[in-house]
Amino acid sequence: MFNEMYRGDEVRPEYRMIQDWLNANGPDALNEKRAEAEALFRRVGITFAVYGEGGDPERLIPFDMVPRIFSATEWDRIEAGSIQRARALNAFLTDIYSERAIVKAGIVPAELIDGNEAYEPVMEGFIPPGGIYSHICGVDLVQVSEGENYVLEDNCRTPSGISYVLENREVMSRMFPELFRTGIVRPVDHYGDMLAEAMASVAPPMCEGEPTLGLLTPGHFNSAYYEHTFLADLMGVELVEGPDLFVEDNRVFMRTTQGAQRIDVLYRRIDDSFLDPKCFRPDSMLGVPGIMEAYKNGGVTIVNAPGAGVADDKAIYIYVPEMVKFYLGEEPILPNVPTWRCGKADECKYVMENLHDLVVKEVHGSGGYGMLIGPKSTKEEIAEYAKRIEANPAGFIAQPTLALSTAPTLGDDGLVSRHVDLRPFVISGRETKLIPGGLTRVALKEGSLVVNSSQGGGVKDTWVLNK
Amino acid sequence: MLSRTANGLFWMSRYVERASNIARLLDAGRRMDNIPNSDEGRASEWESILIASGSHETYPGDIKNADMESVAEHLIFDAENPSSIMCCIKSARENARAMRIAVTTEVWDVVNSNWAEMRQRTHHDIVGGRLAGFLDWVKSCGFLFQGAVEASMLRDEGYCFITLGAAMERADATARLLDVKYHVLLPSTQDVGGGLDHMQWVQLLRATNSLRAFRWTYRETVTPQAVVHFLILNRTSPRSVAASIRTIVENLESIGGETPMQRMVGQQARDMLTRLESLSVEQIIAHGLHEWLTNQILEVNILGGVLAEAYGFNGPVAAEEQSQSQ
Repeated sequence: MFNEMYRGDEVRPEYRMIQDWLNANGPDALNEKRAEAEALFRRVGITFAVYGEGGDPERLIPFDMVPRIFSATEWDRIEAGSIQRARALNAFLTDIYSERAIVKAGIVPAELIDGNEAYEPVMEGFIPPGGIYSHICGVDLVQVSEGENYVLEDNCRTPSGISYVLENREVMSRMFPELFRTGIVRPVDHYGDMLAEAMASVAPPMCEGEPTLGLLTPGHFNSAYYEHTFLADLMGVELVEGPDLFVEDNRVFMRTTQGAQRIDVLYRRIDDSFLDPKCFRPDSMLGVPGIMEAYKNGGVTIVNAPGAGVADDKAIYIYVPEMVKFYLGEEPILPNVPTWRCGKADECKYVMENLHDLVVKEVHGSGGYGMLIGPKSTKEEIAEYAKRIEANPAGFIAQPTLALSTAPTLGDDGLVSRHVDLRPFVISGRETKLIPGGLTRVALKEGSLVVNSSQGGGVKDTWVLNK
Repeated sequence: MLSRTANGLFWMSRYVERASNIARLLDAGRRMDNIPNSDEGRASEWESILIASGSHETYPGDIKNADMESVAEHLIFDAENPSSIMCCIKSARENARAMRIAVTTEVWDVVNSNWAEMRQRTHHDIVGGRLAGFLDWVKSCGFLFQGAVEASMLRDEGYCFITLGAAMERADATARLLDVKYHVLLPSTQDVGGGLDHMQWVQLLRATNSLRAFRWTYRETVTPQAVVHFLILNRTSPRSVAASIRTIVENLESIGGETPMQRMVGQQARDMLTRLESLSVEQIIAHGLHEWLTNQILEVNILGGVLAEAYGFNGPVAAEEQSQSQ
């Protein structure tokens, strides 16, 4: 198993400054820093909400003090690969809602698109400004050996977690000024400017002059509310809720104490189905009646575009490498994890015979729920899960259990090894780019592969080093 | 500024102020409860505290037999009472959280910390001689909030709505506090202006932290007329009704009125201030203190309604909303 801190028995050069710091200060000093960091997070209010489990409704996400480090060379590849992937996904989305060239070419079957819950027929024939559907796209990566990364899944709707990336860095730079002073860690704090610039670059056709940007939140009961306030603050844009907005003559306005004020580009953090009661769920109180009509008539741009979820479905995931070739004429830089589709009889047969070795996931599942980790399950659990697959084979995919890399993590008595993944956030506007860093999630339980915060996962600061 | 933001800031501030004022009412009750009394007529301060705080309908027992412990419990912890200190501090925090980017980190920190600390408090903290200390703590939460607002907020529209919320609540609360004295029935053997009566007026000033200020201002013994003047008309008294209305007038002017409705609310506030400034204590007492206060509370209430309509408020942030899964 690959521990990212070591190459053989040697500490890798990227991690040498961490080893030096620990040698000089000891693990107790790190534990003290951790308590200090927690107090800071609590005061800032960077919590996430958990309902229905009792206890404190607002929890801190556990923060690990040991950063995860990438060398410049490692990062170059991740960066190029993530950008490539986001470009292909956006080309795919624009295509499936217009020409459907990829279907006509026989690469992606039409039923995977039309039968997809996230598919929005209302978007057919409409090309969003700049041809971009997923302006903010999270690409979840895992590593199995040095420099060998796989894409685990794509997040094209409203990927969350960027506030942790920036807040983690803020806290780390307060705690370890001596490590940052050298300038070796590349900064990430231009994320807000990057996002605002991308949003402005996709202003709707009706917008004249400087576009007004806004962030639409479902409100302070949403589990990611902190992130919404954080991002609005970072970009210096208004944080609005559905009832703050109304549509008139295909333009969207905010209700302010000084009267109506126009808004041109809206980064919405509410789901498609709640966005417009006139178009989607009629009982939605979180959305803006008529906004879809305004959108399609060029009065406002919605970021990310409705219907972008088709591209991050696990059944579509399998085709992303082919999309890269089809739309960009390039070879994929970041490979997919090999995946078997239970919807195909021969592949399903293999899966059923090898359940004890595989990870099986629901095609429409998320958050690490409803999956089977074969090697860690009992015979009974496997038999139970097999019945579920038999009942609806097309609802499942399977992947080999990868030997995921671990990163050094602070345990009670010094460093321990824990599994990690990485979510870089790719931003697409006039250009496609990302900040050098991302969200590293860590499975804090020994041996666990599940990094989701709802199931005992934590986060780390992610450092990308200068050349 | 978004109307919803203005609304949230206004209510955040009102709730912080309300928590302090409920503490002041309880403190007034506690102090009156301590006054030695003859057996023939128990002063009914706890009933009057419940009425003045507007909590007589949520109080679970018979208000005629209300005592310190049960009233304190109801006004401090009861989740069924929207004006309990717990509910106020929680609502202030909910409103601040919903308007998180419209307040400074310093203001958020105070509101959030107050709530975090209040959540740790239990019945144990308000019995066995600990009530007075607890009430002091609640009042200090309000002072901290005001300090954070004064020291860290931009002097823009948001600041004005915060100040408006506190002033509106204070104009209401001071009138209610004064009305407690009306409801406290004196034992038949006691004359108005006698020993017990005098002590009750003194305790009322103490509860508003203003006995010393009163002495500095009037340099005379505590008389009902002087107390009424101090708490209603005196411009220099920071909690007086007149001072609160003046703050409302000033802040409405700073915000400015674009629409006819917005101009109307400004005019109403100015008219109210003009009336107060030309009024004398004698006129108030001739009118009947209780009747005058009742009318004043009603007028402030109406002004609040017009203000809400003029600036597109829709009430404080509620406790439940439609949610989505993400």
